[in-house]
Amino acid sequence: MFGYVKPQKSELLVREFEEYNGIYCSLCKSLGKEYGMAARLALNYDCTFYALVLISASTKPFPSFQKGKCVVNPLKRCLFCKENGMEFRQASALTVILLYHKLIDDIHDSKTIKRFLHILVLPIVRHAYRKAADDYPQMGQIVSEAMKEQRKVEKSESPSLDRCAEPTAHMLEQIMELSSGEELSSPRSRVLNRFGYYLGRWVYFIDAADDLQDDLKKGTFNPLTVRFRLNVTSKWDKIREAKTFANEILNQTLSQLDAASNLMETNLLGPIVRNVVFLGLPQMQKELLFKREKTNV
Amino acid sequence: MSDPYRVLGVSPNATDEEVKTAYRKLAKKYHPDNYADSPLADLAGEKMKEVNEAYDQITKERKQRKRGPQGGYANSNGYSAQNTEFYDVRSLINAGRIADAEQILDGVPIERRNAEWYFLKGTVLFSRGWLDEAYNDFAAACRMDPSNGEYRAALNQVTNQRNGMFGGYNPNVPQYGGVGGCDLCTSLCLANMCCNCFGGNIYPCC
Repeated sequence: MFGYVKPQKSELLVREFEEYNGIYCSLCKSLGKEYGMAARLALNYDCTFYALVLISASTKPFPSFQKGKCVVNPLKRCLFCKENGMEFRQASALTVILLYHKLIDDIHDSKTIKRFLHILVLPIVRHAYRKAADDYPQMGQIVSEAMKEQRKVEKSESPSLDRCAEPTAHMLEQIMELSSGEELSSPRSRVLNRFGYYLGRWVYFIDAADDLQDDLKKGTFNPLTVRFRLNVTSKWDKIREAKTFANEILNQTLSQLDAASNLMETNLLGPIVRNVVFLGLPQMQKELLFKREKTNV
Repeated sequence: MSDPYRVLGVSPNATDEEVKTAYRKLAKKYHPDNYADSPLADLAGEKMKEVNEAYDQITKERKQRKRGPQGGYANSNGYSAQNTEFYDVRSLINAGRIADAEQILDGVPIERRNAEWYFLKGTVLFSRGWLDEAYNDFAAACRMDPSNGEYRAALNQVTNQRNGMFGGYNPNVPQYGGVGGCDLCTSLCLANMCCNCFGGNIYPCC
């Protein structure tokens, strides 16, 4: 579920690239400070993007950066945001909460050794999770509701694609809306609401398309196998057909995400958000849905 | 009103051409087509209005053209109410009361569900973000009534979205910067190298 929302680096300005890295490093630092050294391992691009959107859409003055030592690599000097703001604490909490639920999910799905390993790390993650859910009770509740809803949908009789995507989309919608810190009817909150919804929907479908072959092998749930009636014996062209279809759904979702991000009022970090949405996500579609198949044939 | 040049993001010294380009770029960004059936349509409409007004004001001020503003893009996204069986549903959708509209639609018995029903259901689903089922309903509406322009336009719109015309990735369209072995760029480089004779610049041509 992680690692799909990235910028296209070649199209960033050097300044923007440094700022993006700065936010990445600041989130890492914040994770360490709030949830302990081990939590830094949970750092991912998606939650970095979450922090980035919050900062770029906030009305506060532009954050200032300063150089500091990297914790993981003492020889490296990184840029950090000067203060550990609200946004980073929220993004750290989200990282930990999502990680916990992903782990629980994996324990449900996986077997034998892997399952055993997952159970081993569970207490550490659960400890961090409890703290995060205490600090941000609403966020914890939104995510657990979504997971519950997702399991319910997966158990139902041949659910439609839109229904499958709804829990994830709705989850990000609520999280984004929550973080706007304004009334629900305000333009900023409304735009963030739709932005979150379509981002969640996009992430759900790219994840489904990316995991398609794995899910087929393991026999785990995937909305595309339901829609296209695929199974382990399905031929390559059937799978490709499903992936092309997934690309169309992703495009349609992006058309709405683009529309929402055009309406977002942003500060100087806005171009990075636009880079991710307009270039990074399509690039990800290209790489995951069309490039890999050539090497696999 | 705020500074029209700020709205368009150009300096007051910009040439007419620059102003026009900036205007077109913004008009494309906030164009109603991008927000058809989107719950954010009103916000985009406001932006569009702001941009149109700014452009109008600038062109008026400059008075350099004989004819004034060209009007910009029309901003109408209401549904026509002619020949409709679902007048109440359409007015609810126009008012943004999507949940109420859906409730009425779902109450319609299956034998009364005609092309218009599928079109309106698609519209409702689209604003909720259920883009795939919306697509299927628009397609169903077009199958049942192929001659209707309204349904056809909605289907074309979502088909174009799927093909990546409004963002995304289309595997059949070559991307910018795709470097092939013998494309124009490479040939020019080679030609340049020949002229310069690998740094020698024997023929003073470039």
